[in-house]
Amino acid sequence: MEEGILSRANARLDAWGAMMPYDKDNRYHRWVRTLAITVASLIIFLLVWWNLALLVGSAAIPLPMQVWDAMIDLFTYGDPVSGMSMWANISISLQRFVAGFLLAMAVAIPMGLLMGYSKTLNEFMTPTLEILRPIAPIAWAPVLLFATGYTWGPVLVVFIGIFFPLLSNTVFGVNKIDRSLVDAARTLGASNLQIFYKVMFPCALPYIMNGVRIGSGIGWMCIVASELYASYGGGIGFFVGIQASIGYWPNVFVGIAIIAVLGILTTGLFDYIHKVITRRMGME
Amino acid sequence: MSDHNIHIDRLSKVFRRDDKETVAIRDFTLDIKQGELVSIVGPSGCGKTTILRLIAGLEQATSGEVRIGDKVCSGPGPDRGMVFQDFALFPWRNVRKNVEFGMEVSGLPKEERAARAKKYIEIVGLEKFAESRIYELSGGMKQRVGIARALVTNPDVILMDEPFGALDAQTRNIMQAGLIRILDKTDQTIVFVTHSVDEAIFISDRIVILSKRPAVIKEIVEIPWPRPRDRSDPEFTALRKRILKELESENVMD
Repeated sequence: MEEGILSRANARLDAWGAMMPYDKDNRYHRWVRTLAITVASLIIFLLVWWNLALLVGSAAIPLPMQVWDAMIDLFTYGDPVSGMSMWANISISLQRFVAGFLLAMAVAIPMGLLMGYSKTLNEFMTPTLEILRPIAPIAWAPVLLFATGYTWGPVLVVFIGIFFPLLSNTVFGVNKIDRSLVDAARTLGASNLQIFYKVMFPCALPYIMNGVRIGSGIGWMCIVASELYASYGGGIGFFVGIQASIGYWPNVFVGIAIIAVLGILTTGLFDYIHKVITRRMGME
Repeated sequence: MSDHNIHIDRLSKVFRRDDKETVAIRDFTLDIKQGELVSIVGPSGCGKTTILRLIAGLEQATSGEVRIGDKVCSGPGPDRGMVFQDFALFPWRNVRKNVEFGMEVSGLPKEERAARAKKYIEIVGLEKFAESRIYELSGGMKQRVGIARALVTNPDVILMDEPFGALDAQTRNIMQAGLIRILDKTDQTIVFVTHSVDEAIFISDRIVILSKRPAVIKEIVEIPWPRPRDRSDPEFTALRKRILKELESENVMD
């Protein structure tokens, strides 16, 4: 029964496909195909959203058009509640993200390299780290916001979110270092310090970048969640929080859309850097 | 002229784990003259590589010492170059940068590094690939980079750990012939570990035959014939047969 429906649907799709000649060895054809599939996916997404909004009938789920109008207004006139422009909110979130990110890199990468280098240090750090690792970073938000204030609080939540994946990937990278490369460097007269930055660091770099890539995704979740929890002085999470508290639901959705776009852009950027470095390091 | 002969004096290596002791090498003594190529052959797992790593200083000997002239070697140093079976090239550096590594860490000026690297890249016949990345090279070319990298710092001895073991038979033969040509040009002292008796006879001045574990020297065979040698020569094949037989008797389980 079901198989009958499936095979008929499949035959229909094939028939449609036959109407559009597609050559998979042609770069232009491949590009058009990807574009068509992407556009189709987004159209279906909007239709599902539209229907769900009508079906649920809640003010909290606006129609796509309402969100679009709200977005035009917000980017033209700024946020009517706080009086801040959307760009200011975006830039504040980005600044916190970047600050937390740099801090995490400055701590996790050297620490991971040392932990990979020294077995004793690794054994010493592991119990503490294993206790802290499973804690959701956002659980620290109330503590950190109270203890360090609205400027550092969200930054430190991002720091915690990025710290652990970055650290474990760095340690992993050092452990993956080919011992014979270190031996080769030693027989060529390299000092321990030279081995560290001329051999171990480049070897571990692709793994470190993988940690950066994974960390960036978690970092975005952390920044928005901590701003949403409690913040002051703007930020996208903060914007979403106030709009929701006074029931400006289309504006809430604009905030959500901005979070999505920024997440895609950062992930894309780090994916690209990771790919370039992996190729540079000859580890394709 | 200073003495660059290598003296390996009663080198022993014992591996200890909990209460268990394994003697890997016992009283390995060997003098190697400058410019000599000495091969070490022995049954699998007898500790050929361990001997090389002890000479290189990559492992600590339990007793005994290695001297170059009067100088006692402790720890690895650029006076003893090494060529690895798995090449051990730095994949993020191109050919030239790999060859320059040793001079770079010793702080040689850039122009001198480049000039010397160029010379040795030419000696191994890779001048067209100086700027190539490692993954673009074939296995034989990779090992030529490894050899150039070891030669370029002008060490007192180069330790080669089954350098052609990862290559196919045809490439091996080409590499052996190439190594002999390099020897003519440089007067380089080489200790060469191999499991191929044929290879050892083809290239060496002397062959050290080891027993099974704990490795002691069973016999040292001098090979007086000039290079390049003819593998099909009856004397060559007779010697190969004799050494193989000797190794086989070592491989018998007891």
